[in-house]
Amino acid sequence: MGMSSNPSYPAGTVITGKWRGNRYVVERVLGKGANGTVYLVQREGRRERYALKIGYDTLELQSEINVLTSLQSCRKRSEHRARKESPLSSYLLESDDFKDRDHTPFYVMRYVEGRPLHHFLSRNGASWLGLVGMTILEKLQTLHECGFVFGDLKPENVMVSSYGEAELIDYGGASPIGRSVKQFTEWHDRGFWNAGSRTGDQSYDLFAFAVLCLRLLNEQGLKSAAQQLPQTRSVEELMKLARELPDKKLSSWLCLALKGGFPGSAQAAEIWRSHIYRGRKTGHETMATPRWLKNAFALSLFLLAFTLYWVFRF
Amino acid sequence: MKQILLITDGCSNVGESPVLAAAHARQEGITVNVVGVVDYGTIGELGSREIADIAKAGGGISRIVGTPQLAQTIQMMTRKTVVQTIQQAVNKEVQKILGDGSLAELPPQQRSQVVTVVDELTETSPLRIALLIDASASMKPKLGAVEDAIRDLALSLEAREGRSEIAVFHFPGRSGSEDAMLDIDWTRNVSEVRSLFSRLKMRGATPTGPAIFKVLEHYRYDKLEEHRNYLPGEDDGAREGMIDGYVV
Ligand SMILES: Nc1ncnc2c1ncn2[C@@H]1O[C@H](COP(=O)(O)OP(=O)(O)O)[C@@H](O)[C@H]1O
Ligand SMILES: [Mg+2]
Repeated sequence: MGMSSNPSYPAGTVITGKWRGNRYVVERVLGKGANGTVYLVQREGRRERYALKIGYDTLELQSEINVLTSLQSCRKRSEHRARKESPLSSYLLESDDFKDRDHTPFYVMRYVEGRPLHHFLSRNGASWLGLVGMTILEKLQTLHECGFVFGDLKPENVMVSSYGEAELIDYGGASPIGRSVKQFTEWHDRGFWNAGSRTGDQSYDLFAFAVLCLRLLNEQGLKSAAQQLPQTRSVEELMKLARELPDKKLSSWLCLALKGGFPGSAQAAEIWRSHIYRGRKTGHETMATPRWLKNAFALSLFLLAFTLYWVFRF
Repeated sequence: MKQILLITDGCSNVGESPVLAAAHARQEGITVNVVGVVDYGTIGELGSREIADIAKAGGGISRIVGTPQLAQTIQMMTRKTVVQTIQQAVNKEVQKILGDGSLAELPPQQRSQVVTVVDELTETSPLRIALLIDASASMKPKLGAVEDAIRDLALSLEAREGRSEIAVFHFPGRSGSEDAMLDIDWTRNVSEVRSLFSRLKMRGATPTGPAIFKVLEHYRYDKLEEHRNYLPGEDDGAREGMIDGYVV
């Protein structure tokens, strides 16, 4: 099964691809997870730096590579249609096997400079959540449009640049919509909270995202809710935590996501943008000029419903 | 695919060897996984050796965990075993085509295709898991956690596209002559069952080996039924045809 004893390769190690022959020089370890070790590397003879993931298990890593490959071509197609090139399409660079060491498989991806979401927020303050949350939701939306769910959404799997641009990393938990979720983390899993199935759909990721927000804003509260007995553990507990938050629009958004009330991530992102991201910046302005009215009729209807929902709720 | 998941907290002390029983299971195409649950103290050297040996003989995995990790552990073990079973079957097909090439030696393009097939079958192949729960006196305080873990496993299985069924047994049974008792026969929605171990009476002995044999009998009995209800070899045929289609 190509299991390596997962040693950490020291700086200066040259990783040569068996099939394609490219050579990467290890600079340092970026992080270790359950499925592999990620190194910061430099392609020999070039200036660019990349992140290179060496897997512990051939099958698991290949499965991850397959997801990244189909995402890549989906994004390329949609960018081609939109006639623009975004950095998204060039996330996966290549995959190969480490020639000299047991043919351990690896893949090379864009190096996402920044820090994990929870570190970013504790350093920069919760006021960044509006902006960062929006970029995460946009990333989820793209993923969903390509037919995948992310699955294991948690702060550790989101990297944030110093100016608040979020990037999802670790596609080991991603699976096609409609399939069972491969990999999840208890707190973020809607099944754990008796709030629905483990079949991957857009709401599954939105639920995980809502828990992620709660965790960033009230980790202690979430922890004690999670420690309850499985029979009494419920989405109600999470909604209670959400309602305690000072930002009432955020509360409403989170409650709706926890209940699986958004039709999809497009609507969820749009509402976040108009009510939480913008709403936050302008303080007490309640109803910003609805840019979204230009969008689909169904969406605007939904926004209206949402607006009524939070107006009457509080 | 067929699995037995044994959840216990110690050594067997009556009847045939559980390692022998597990070897029989493997012979019949049933993988045996074992979880040792310990909350206080350790399981003892003898107990942990037996747990490892049963899993080894049964072609499965063993883990020793506390009740808080139980749900996650059995979910992970089950999934891993499904993937392994599929992978072994697929590897056989791959070897027919490529000699002794294992997955890791395949060129990237073909490897990617093979893994696509493995992922597909992991999700869609029919799966049966018999849970065999040690209900000897020392397990009593842990049975609540066991029940929660079973429900959690059921939730994961229900999300699969393929037909997934669970049966639950506990051992020892009601009388000295009953090695294991069937609590729930093959079902697809365990989450709806209210109480798993309703008629449970804790007794001292731990006849792990005989209990595994009892489960094997149940599997065998059921196969007869299955043949009456389904076309013979339906699954195998589809599986092989599919692999050929992808790889060649
Ligand atoms: N593209 C990347 N750029 C920068 N750091 C990364 C990148 N990918 C992964 N990392 C770092 O490596 C760690 C482990 O990678 P991850 O893909 O999450 O592994 P696992 O699947 O084993 O959890 C991450 O938590 C992160 O710190
Ligand atoms: Mg990770």
